[in-house]
Amino acid sequence: MDNKPKIAFFQCQWCLYAPEDQEWVDSRLPENIHLIKVPCTGRIDPLFVLNAVQGGADGVVISGCLPEKCHFKEGNLAARRQLDSFSSFLDYIGYDQERVHFVWLDLQDRGRIQRELADFESQISRLGPAESLATRVPLKEGGAND
Amino acid sequence: MTELEAKIRTEAARLLSEGLVDVVVAFRKEDAPLRPQPAFFTNVEDLENLVYNGLCANNLANYLTRFPQETRIGMLVRGCENRSVNALVVEKQHSREKLTLIGIPCTGIIDWRKVVALTGEDILAYEDSAHTLTVRARHQTFALPRQELLHSSCLRCVHPNPLSADILLGEMLPEGDPALIRERVESFEALTRAERTAYFKQEAERCIRCYACREACPMCYCEECFVDHNTPRWTESGTTPAGTHAWHIIRAFHQTGRCTSCGACERACPMDIQMTYLTDKLGKDMWDSYQFAAGMDDQTQPPFASFTLDDKKHFQVGGKQS
Repeated sequence: MDNKPKIAFFQCQWCLYAPEDQEWVDSRLPENIHLIKVPCTGRIDPLFVLNAVQGGADGVVISGCLPEKCHFKEGNLAARRQLDSFSSFLDYIGYDQERVHFVWLDLQDRGRIQRELADFESQISRLGPAESLATRVPLKEGGAND
Repeated sequence: MTELEAKIRTEAARLLSEGLVDVVVAFRKEDAPLRPQPAFFTNVEDLENLVYNGLCANNLANYLTRFPQETRIGMLVRGCENRSVNALVVEKQHSREKLTLIGIPCTGIIDWRKVVALTGEDILAYEDSAHTLTVRARHQTFALPRQELLHSSCLRCVHPNPLSADILLGEMLPEGDPALIRERVESFEALTRAERTAYFKQEAERCIRCYACREACPMCYCEECFVDHNTPRWTESGTTPAGTHAWHIIRAFHQTGRCTSCGACERACPMDIQMTYLTDKLGKDMWDSYQFAAGMDDQTQPPFASFTLDDKKHFQVGGKQS
């Protein structure tokens, strides 16, 4: 397990249209992928992404709905501007932009999320572990450290 | 008293005595050498303490959000302060009608640290003129060339003139060169990834988390900052690497499309940490992606608040990153 890249996977709860996909993500995700389910990509504060990066994530995947198909009309539009800019900002201080990956899913994209995660994982394996900003002390059993 | 100071006092006295404003925000004579202090003048007699010179380092727009919305404020503004006021008006922190801006084209703020490095700390008096700063120390008098003492943000200043002042005092100055900020960001981008991280860590990890940068910044007016929030705690609150990195990254990122590059954060920092290379990068990104510069008018919403469906051509469609 240890040689597999650690991936933080932020998923908008509305973006997987096929129940099979959602079921796979909810219960059969590989152990090196950590799922953070959010009500909308608009809920993803850049700080969440930073916490993942500081916590030692080698890659971050953000999946959401297509621009015009947001469940909350425009949450993903707000998210896209912020997170896009944030990933290039992280690149500026040394966290490779290729480690942040966006997946915008459509109705017919059944099964695509599995493919995207697999592709991304092999891409991150090539890049190697990300150590530049991984600074957080692992959480103690049962909660925060301070 | 310089000619400019006299003009400011006259205007401030007029605004107060005619009852056009409730308070004039400007600077008063300092208690510590080289550090004129922000001051709030509510009656004409106090105006004899008003000073203005190159060492007035604070961004006065910072105090805009500390008054109730209905207060009529007269404010001394230089180029950067005027842009900060504009950005705050866009964010509805005060209504423009209640503001009277006394604009001064700015010849640059003198970094007191650079002065002290040359003269030592025993400073008795100083005088700021167009090209020289004359400092009288205990044993010696120094005549220092002003241009070499300017704060680094002011050397890169693009708009030294107030853009929307109600009263303009002094001569308009030529605009600065926008390439200077751009070149600085680009030269940092040209470093290797490891060098960039090393520089960022070297700067951020000196941080003592005093939040002087936040207090000095006109755009940092949240009632509760993300670092003060403790249920849940979003970041480590100590001076650990994780805590200081998170503070520097997110503080800068919250300024995206709002920072006017006044450099007040760096001037306030007791540890002399470089921060503007972060905010300048975000400013450059906003210009490149959305042709937006913060504070140029008091109407246009910043990019993160003005998203539209037209963005969709930038979205990833069909598996390829746009």
